[in-house]
Amino acid sequence: MADVLNVGVNLEAFSQAISAIQALRSSVSRVFDCLKDGMRNKETLEGREKAFIAHFQDNLHSVNRDLNELERLSNLVGKPSENHPLHNSGLLSLDPVQDKTPLYSQLLQAYKWSNKLQYHAGLASGLLNQQSLKRSANQMGVSAKRRPKAQPTTLVLPPQYVDDVISRIDRMFPEMSIHLSRPNGTSAMLLVTLGKVLKVIVVMRSLFIDRAIVKGYNENVYMEDGKLDIWSKSNYHVFQKVTDHATTALLHYQLPQMPDVVVRSFMTWLRSYVKLFQAPCQRCGKFLQEGLPPTWRDFRTLEAFHDTCRQ
Amino acid sequence: MGVTCVSQMPVAEGKSVQQTVELLTRKLEMLGAEKQGTFCVDCETYHTAASTLGNQGQSGKLMYVMHNSEYPLSCFALFENGPCLIADTNFDVLMVKLKGFFQSAKASKIETRGTRYQYCDFLVKVGTVTMGPSARGISVEVEYGPCVVATDCWSLLLEFLQSFLGSHTPGAPSVFGNRHDAVYGPADTMVQYMELFNKIRKQQQVPVAGIR
Repeated sequence: MADVLNVGVNLEAFSQAISAIQALRSSVSRVFDCLKDGMRNKETLEGREKAFIAHFQDNLHSVNRDLNELERLSNLVGKPSENHPLHNSGLLSLDPVQDKTPLYSQLLQAYKWSNKLQYHAGLASGLLNQQSLKRSANQMGVSAKRRPKAQPTTLVLPPQYVDDVISRIDRMFPEMSIHLSRPNGTSAMLLVTLGKVLKVIVVMRSLFIDRAIVKGYNENVYMEDGKLDIWSKSNYHVFQKVTDHATTALLHYQLPQMPDVVVRSFMTWLRSYVKLFQAPCQRCGKFLQEGLPPTWRDFRTLEAFHDTCRQ
Repeated sequence: MGVTCVSQMPVAEGKSVQQTVELLTRKLEMLGAEKQGTFCVDCETYHTAASTLGNQGQSGKLMYVMHNSEYPLSCFALFENGPCLIADTNFDVLMVKLKGFFQSAKASKIETRGTRYQYCDFLVKVGTVTMGPSARGISVEVEYGPCVVATDCWSLLLEFLQSFLGSHTPGAPSVFGNRHDAVYGPADTMVQYMELFNKIRKQQQVPVAGIR
């Protein structure tokens, strides 16, 4: 709560005032006791009345004395300082029922936690900004004045251009066919069928590949309403593994200024999976490792390796 | 339906059918396979009734009606070298109505029952082949789910078979040679089972009524 130095309250006088209040209370109760007891038994009526009045007067004097003492002390106590540093939340701390409504302590904890979170987030963003993680050519944080005029941004490309690029890649390889659709807005969704081995659903964002899901040739890639199912995983372990490798590949092939070259490289890499079940691992020579065929394709040489055998 | 290979495991020397099955299942479990229920494949033989044969005295053809617990709502009907029909279970009732054309061969029902195991993407079924009350042999079926073209993954299947069958690994099934790039289907599996059952029948030299 408030610091002792800020209070401006004379604590010594404060405690004395509290004891003075207690003294005053006891003298007032003595007055009423005396009245309640009434007159004591003495020989004559006069004697009784005199004794009663004297006793009563004594008690009233002591009440007066105590009251004066209390007034003197209360003048010494002084006022608490006005600059309340806690403002409204400090008023919460005055609530005495700590068990049922521990509002103030919870408030303090929440505040400390959010301060710590802000601090850590600042540290993390500083560290992350050192390593550029953007695959597109847009530059964030450059003010409009400094940005050179007419800078082409690869994130906003006309859909016709995307269609053209994809259809050209479709004609590149005979065993790979690509079907493009736009069921959800301007993002293209490709269904790539590779021979009779697998199907890949590629979700794009203009000409950048966002996600790739690999499924078996005999698995269903459509939902009940006929739309492409872009969320459910394959039922087979081997294709779940290949999906992970495809995600690695789309992060590996990066060229911010020429996204169509990136898509071409990705499709070339994907095409090497046409011999998924026929090619043995280049390192150990076997077909199976823990029940999986060689699912890794090297990014440069396109050789087949088991996931655990790759260099 | 992935590529499937059905083969027969010879009974080990000096052991019974039951013990050999147990040996196999223990090897599978050591490999890391998980038990996933049971399976049953059965086969009944019918031969074309004499009254429908032409004057040339051509011999009747044998028809096999099979069921597979993997496809509980289907019934398979196939001729030896001919087409395979996939129908629903009401086909059995239809066969009763076709009594005039197809007669059931006596004591011909043969079936295999056993447990299913799942290892990664492989489905292994080890079953005891029984004809009537007696156990005649052991059938081993391995299915590799992800692949649908037979010729693609034979080497892969072979490697897996070798890992738990050892020296009893079979050669490539004949159905693989027939269809080069066609998608594998359940009918091919039933053809393999039919060939296996015929082989087991002939092995024991028990004459099945109606066989030529």
